[in-house]
Amino acid sequence: MTIASFITKNALRNKRRALLCVLSVAVSLFLLVTLQVALREVTLPPEDVGAALRVVVRNKISISSPLPARQRAVIERIPGVEAVSPFSFFGGKYRNEESMSFAQFAMDPKLLRKIFGEAKMPENQYAAFEADQTACILGKVTADKYRLKVGDRVPLTSTLYPCSIELKIAGIYEGTIDDRNLLFHHKYLDEAGGSPGWVAMWWVKVRSVEEMPRVTEAINRAFASSSAEVRAETERAFQLSFVAMWGNIKIMVHSICTVVVFTLVLVTASTMSMAIRERFRELAVLKALGYRRRELFAFILAESFGLAALGAIIGIGTAWTLFTHASIAKLTQGIFLTFEVTPRIIGQAALVAASLGIIASLAPSIAVARMSVVEGLKTLD
Amino acid sequence: MALPLRYNLRNVIVRWRATIATILGVALVVAVYILVQSLAVGLEKSSRNTGDSRNVMIVRKGSTAESSSQITREQFQLLQYWPQIARDGRGQPIVSADVVVMVTLPRRESTAEAHVLIRGITPAGMKLRPQVSLVAGRWFVPGRREVVVSQRLAARIANFDVGAQFKTGSHTLTVVGWLDGARSAFDSEVWMDANEARSIYHRDNYSSILARVVNETAGAALASRIESDKRLPLRALPEVQYYSAQTMTAMPIRILGNFLATAMSIGAVFAAMNTLYASVGARTREIGTLRVLGYRRRSILSSFLVEGALLALVGGILGCILSLPMHGYSTGTISFESFSEVIFEFSLTPWLMAKGLIFAVAVGLVGSLLPALRAARLPPIVALNSV
Repeated sequence: MTIASFITKNALRNKRRALLCVLSVAVSLFLLVTLQVALREVTLPPEDVGAALRVVVRNKISISSPLPARQRAVIERIPGVEAVSPFSFFGGKYRNEESMSFAQFAMDPKLLRKIFGEAKMPENQYAAFEADQTACILGKVTADKYRLKVGDRVPLTSTLYPCSIELKIAGIYEGTIDDRNLLFHHKYLDEAGGSPGWVAMWWVKVRSVEEMPRVTEAINRAFASSSAEVRAETERAFQLSFVAMWGNIKIMVHSICTVVVFTLVLVTASTMSMAIRERFRELAVLKALGYRRRELFAFILAESFGLAALGAIIGIGTAWTLFTHASIAKLTQGIFLTFEVTPRIIGQAALVAASLGIIASLAPSIAVARMSVVEGLKTLD
Repeated sequence: MALPLRYNLRNVIVRWRATIATILGVALVVAVYILVQSLAVGLEKSSRNTGDSRNVMIVRKGSTAESSSQITREQFQLLQYWPQIARDGRGQPIVSADVVVMVTLPRRESTAEAHVLIRGITPAGMKLRPQVSLVAGRWFVPGRREVVVSQRLAARIANFDVGAQFKTGSHTLTVVGWLDGARSAFDSEVWMDANEARSIYHRDNYSSILARVVNETAGAALASRIESDKRLPLRALPEVQYYSAQTMTAMPIRILGNFLATAMSIGAVFAAMNTLYASVGARTREIGTLRVLGYRRRSILSSFLVEGALLALVGGILGCILSLPMHGYSTGTISFESFSEVIFEFSLTPWLMAKGLIFAVAVGLVGSLLPALRAARLPPIVALNSV
């Protein structure tokens, strides 16, 4: 019998306990990975390819204060600016839904490809969108969710503007990081009863990355001490400022993760020491046969580590397989999009499992070290 | 005949290490469950605590938050003298048209920002909200760029100390006092003079109207009169009802709590199972003896079930105790209705704790069912012969 098979035999002697132990590690690590992934997606939203060249301009007071439409010409004249589109959140409820389930933005369709180049759509759909003022384009995730196709009508009642509109789907796009949104003509919003002469935000495409800081600053300066001071920042900075709004939720999820890890250590450590205690006599026999403490420690550690590792493989593996292969966007109704299990998160979870294996072997090791051979041999069970 | 409870108790104490681990495991699961749910309860409570039952709130039809509602001056003029609205001693209608603006301000302890609601309010509006009181400094003077901020908000937002100044857009406002909203939605607001707010934020329109109605029937009459008046695209409803419906933010917290509780309880069930299986294994001979003495299978079964449930119950109680210190602790997140910072507190209700305990006992019962069945099914002779 090799040492490896000796350890395996020992670990699996009480199959039920080994199974329960492995499973509880697996469940906890699955939970840990899920929480981490969710937290990462919420606090570190995925970034679009084109985001590096986009500047978001909003009212300095807050995002809910509008900007005058006349600002557009001023921004367009700033050197380095390639295109400027209004971008107004419509906040519409779809059909008779109780709350908003996807976002709609009014913008300038002619600049769609220039500013949001990531959106992929057949050529004729682009043309159809531009040509018809009552047209809209819809992200594939939302289109799939409501089984909408090109030509369908989308009735929306705004929670922000005093109007309801009905849009015709001219195209369905995909390829952006967030294929959920609906885009439509800003002109149509103005005519349908929005607030003509006002927009919610400007989205600006800058010619090159090098010019970004200068353009951002120039926009900020252009409207300083005007009736509508603005705040221009990169799309990324804009995104992250929303994350900060979550407030204490982030700390809360972090503390929950800590509690999960702690519970996990506790349960597994207790199981491990239970397993060793049952085997006190055998360990005493091994001791009597001349095995040294060091070797006994190695047995215990290997067993504990092995169980933790097996649990880790099952838990992390299930999470990885599930989140990578299942369509998370569909499962969560579009609340989470990528749900990416990053190597970093896997590494963290694996580290937790490894430390767990070590910590769980501590108590039994100490007990074995203290035990005298005679006493151990006398132990009945 | 049932086995005496003392038997379980002594057994639990003998195997104290495994017992403590199981109890602590259950305790942590219950604590997480209670704490997360208490957030949702706290959020709903702060909505429910808001408003006066004699008031009617009027907002634009279709708007989901006051900050996105608009009421024109003409609309306000049209309805403010309606007979359904109560009058004060001098015959003036008790009605207030507020303007609510969302502003972005830096947080106190980080570079991050928060959306904060500023309510431009009239003296009548303050009289209509008697639950709000001044706790420090003084009220703002109409005509001056002064604000009174919620005390709870002041703990989270930079430059909100009495006497401090902060910038919004191109204007500077001075904080002259702190208000307390008695754990209502007003705890998340900043109050200032309505006309000043309209002027610095360029608002021609009001956001909402709050009116004292003569009585409940008058309130209903007012609502139906607004509903039928084609010039008024507005909606009137009791103020209490308006706020109590603002609980969308609590939903995801509830879902998170339930998800966590489910996932963690699976782990806790495994832990309880492990402990009890080991306990059954070690007591095989005892069980054989008990059977020979005449105890029925079902007595053995129920004895082990009771043991598991008791163990978990102790864990549950410990979980409640662990989570208790958080009661009343104030926290904040973004509201899904107004998209602004909403302050609320962990709120541990007796019912929530009872739910936690029931949950713990369920975990104990499920975890001990299989080991208990095994114990009950042990053939007495085999059990007696086992070493």
